[in-house]
Amino acid sequence: MPENKPETTDATIGYFTVVEDERTGWTGGLLILDRGGRPLEFQCTLPVRPTRAHEILFGPTLRSHLVGQVIGKLLISKCRTPLTLLCCDQIEGLAVEAFTQSPVALIREAAEVDEGPISLDMLAGSETVEVAGATFIVPMEQRERVAGLASQYRDLPDAVEPFERIREAIKEAHSQLARQRPEAA
Amino acid sequence: MSFFSPRGPNLMRPAVGKSELVAQIDPLNSWTSDSLFDLTTCSLPLPSIDPVAIPIRLKPFVTRTQGFLFPDSARWIPPQAPGAVNAEPKPRKPSVGKKHNRIKPPSDIVKLQDRLYYLLQPPLDLLVGSGQLNFPFEPFPYQLDGMAFLFPRYAGILADEMGLGKTMQAISTIRMLLCSGEVRSVLLVCPKPLVTNWLREFSVWAPEIPIVAIEGNSTKRDFQWRSPQVPVKVANYELLKRDESTVIDGGLHFDLVVLDEAQRIKNRTSTTSEVVRSIPRTRSWALTGTPVENCPDDLVGIFEFLSPGYLKPGMPMPQIAKQAGGYILRRTKDMVLDDMPPKLYRDAELDLTPEQWSTYEAAEKEGVVHLENLEQSLTIQHVFELVLRLKQICNFDPVTGSSCKLERLVADIEEVAASGKKAIVFSQWVKSLDKIRDALQPFGPLEYHGKIPQKKRNGVIDQFKEDPNSHVILMSYGAGSVGLNLQFCEYVFLFDRWWNPAVEDQAINRAHRLGAKGAVTVTKMMAMGTIEQRINDVLDKKREMFDTLFSGNETPTQKVGLSREEIFGLFDLRAPCGKKVA
Repeated sequence: MPENKPETTDATIGYFTVVEDERTGWTGGLLILDRGGRPLEFQCTLPVRPTRAHEILFGPTLRSHLVGQVIGKLLISKCRTPLTLLCCDQIEGLAVEAFTQSPVALIREAAEVDEGPISLDMLAGSETVEVAGATFIVPMEQRERVAGLASQYRDLPDAVEPFERIREAIKEAHSQLARQRPEAA
Repeated sequence: MSFFSPRGPNLMRPAVGKSELVAQIDPLNSWTSDSLFDLTTCSLPLPSIDPVAIPIRLKPFVTRTQGFLFPDSARWIPPQAPGAVNAEPKPRKPSVGKKHNRIKPPSDIVKLQDRLYYLLQPPLDLLVGSGQLNFPFEPFPYQLDGMAFLFPRYAGILADEMGLGKTMQAISTIRMLLCSGEVRSVLLVCPKPLVTNWLREFSVWAPEIPIVAIEGNSTKRDFQWRSPQVPVKVANYELLKRDESTVIDGGLHFDLVVLDEAQRIKNRTSTTSEVVRSIPRTRSWALTGTPVENCPDDLVGIFEFLSPGYLKPGMPMPQIAKQAGGYILRRTKDMVLDDMPPKLYRDAELDLTPEQWSTYEAAEKEGVVHLENLEQSLTIQHVFELVLRLKQICNFDPVTGSSCKLERLVADIEEVAASGKKAIVFSQWVKSLDKIRDALQPFGPLEYHGKIPQKKRNGVIDQFKEDPNSHVILMSYGAGSVGLNLQFCEYVFLFDRWWNPAVEDQAINRAHRLGAKGAVTVTKMMAMGTIEQRINDVLDKKREMFDTLFSGNETPTQKVGLSREEIFGLFDLRAPCGKKVA
C-alpha cells in the first residue's frame, strides 16, 4: 500500500474510472492531479477480458470484482504519487478504499451520467461533502476528514471533467493497440 | 367359452322337469387368458453410477499497468498580467457534458506517452475560468481552440481569416510554451510594416515576456541575434535575408520559428523562402489568412518550410487536402459567427516611418512656437490648422510620400483581396485617398468622395458590388457616411480618425447593417506618440465616462467630441481667457 501522507501544500486528488468496452474489455485509468487540476501521474491498465466462465461463475458480482478488486487494486498499488483524496464515478469503485489510506469518494454529478439519480439510500452509511462545487459521497466516518480537505481544492477548475480526460486517454490507448494488432499480424 | 349340455346333479341342479339341462365347460374348446402367455421374468444388469468431478479452471484476472509521471513543467502557470485582479475563484458547478477546448496531439506525435501528455492536460477554457490562465481580454472560444491546436504542434498552419486574431492566438500559445519550458527561444518573422504591431500585441497579451525587434546596424543586430536573455526575437523578411550568415551559419538555434503572412514563401525558389527554410529550428508555424492564393502549389511552398518534402508540386488536390488537413486550422468569420460580436475592432497602432517622424517633429515644434507667439490673438482655428497639418503628416510624409499606414494598409488589403472579400477605406482627405488609390492599383480601387460627380456615384457603387476584381472602395467621411448600404463589405479601414466618434460610427455602419452577411472587422489606424494618439486618448476617456454614467443604455457618442479646452490642451496650451489644460 503506498504511503499516503502528502504535505498539506501538495494536496493531490486522484481520479479513478473503468471503461467497459464489448470488443476490448475492461480498462482502468488513474489520473493524479495537483490541487489546481494539473496532471502529476497517470496509470492505465491493459484491457482485462473476462471469459465466459468468469461471466457465469461471477454472475452479477463480476463488475464489482473487476472494478474494485482487480483493476482498482492494481492501479493504486502502482501509483507513485501520494494521494490525498481519491474519487471515482462508479459505485463499485468505492471498494478500492480497502487498498488505500486516503478517503475514497463517489462524485455524484459524474456518477449520475451513467447510473442515473443517486440517492444516499443507495449507499448506506454515506454522507455528502461539497468539494470544488461538486457533491462528494463519502463513508460517514470519512465525512469530517474530507470536509477538512475541501478547502484545499478551491483552485480545482472542475471536479468532474478529469474523468473525461481518463476516458480520452483510454480511447487513445485502445486505438493505438488496435493499430498495433494488424501490424503484428 | 361355455355352452349348455346335460350335466350331473352336483354340477347344476335344474329347477323343473324330468330331463335336466346341465351346463358344462368344454375343456377342449375353452381357454383362459392365463393360457395365452407364457410369463417369465428376466433380469437386466445396469452399470453403477459413479459421480465424476470435472474441474473448470478459472483463470485469475491478469493485467498490467503502464503509467508515467508528468514533468514539473506540466504545472506551468503564467504570471499574473500587470493590473489584472486576482479574484477569488467564483463558486462553480461541474460542467457535465460541456464541450471543452482541449489540447489534442497531432498525428505526427506517435509515442503513446507523448500523446497522453497532451490529452491529459486540463482544457484551456477551464484554466481561463479558474483564473490560472490570465488574459487582458477574455478570448473567444474559437481562439482557445486555436491555441489548443498550436500548442502541441511542431509543424502547423493557422490560416484563420483576417480579423479573427491569429496574432493573439500565436502570442498566447508562445506564452504558454515559454511558461511550460517547452520552448526557450522563438523567432518571429513578419513583413516590415507589421513588426511594431507584433511588439505592441506582445505587450498586451504577454507583457512579461522579453521581446526585441532585430534592427539597427550590423553590430547591434549581431548582438541582438545572439542575446540569450531575450526569448522572443522579431525580424522582418528583408532583414532576415541580410543577416542570413548570422542566422544560418552563426550557430543559432530556435525552438520555434513563426512566419507571419507566410504566403510570402509560397514561391519555393525565392530567396526569402530558401533563407527561411534554412533557419535551424525545432518547431515551425505559419500564419496566413490566405494559405492558397492562386494554386494548390502555394501550399506546397509553405509546407517546404513546415515539413520539407511532405507535399510535392503537382500533387492531386484531394491528396494535398488529405495530407495537409491535420496541419492546418482555418476558420472563417461565418464559422465562428456565434462566438463573435457583429463588429470587431482592431487598433492598428503604428509607428511613423523615420521620414515621417522627422517631418512631424519639426512641424509640431514650429507650430507650437507659432501658436504661443500668437498669445491673445490665438483662436481655436489656429489650433485646428496645426492639428490638421500634423494629422496629414501622420498619413503621408509630404516630402518623401513615406507612410507607415499605407504600408500596413497594402499588406491588409492584399489579404482581403486574396480571400475574395471587399473593403472600405475611409479618410477625411481626398488627397490621401488619391495616394492610397495609386498604391492599391492591383486591387481595383474605386473612389466615392466629394470629387466624384453625384450622377456617377451610383455607378461606382454598382461596379463595386458586381466587379469581382474590385476589392476596395475609397471614401471620404462626408461622402461615404450617409445613405449608403455596403453590407457586402466585411472590412472597414479608418485610415485617419474623425474628431467625433459618431461620424466614425456612421461610416462603419455603411458596412454593418442589419442583415449584413457576416461580422465586420474595423481597423482603426493610429500613429502612436502623435496628435492622433492624444486625440484618441481624450476621446477614449470621455467614452469611458459616458459608459459609466449611462451603462446599460445606448452611449450618446454624438456628445463625445472635443471641447474647446480639450483642443487647446492637445498642445499643452492655455486657451485665451481660460485655464491651462494639462
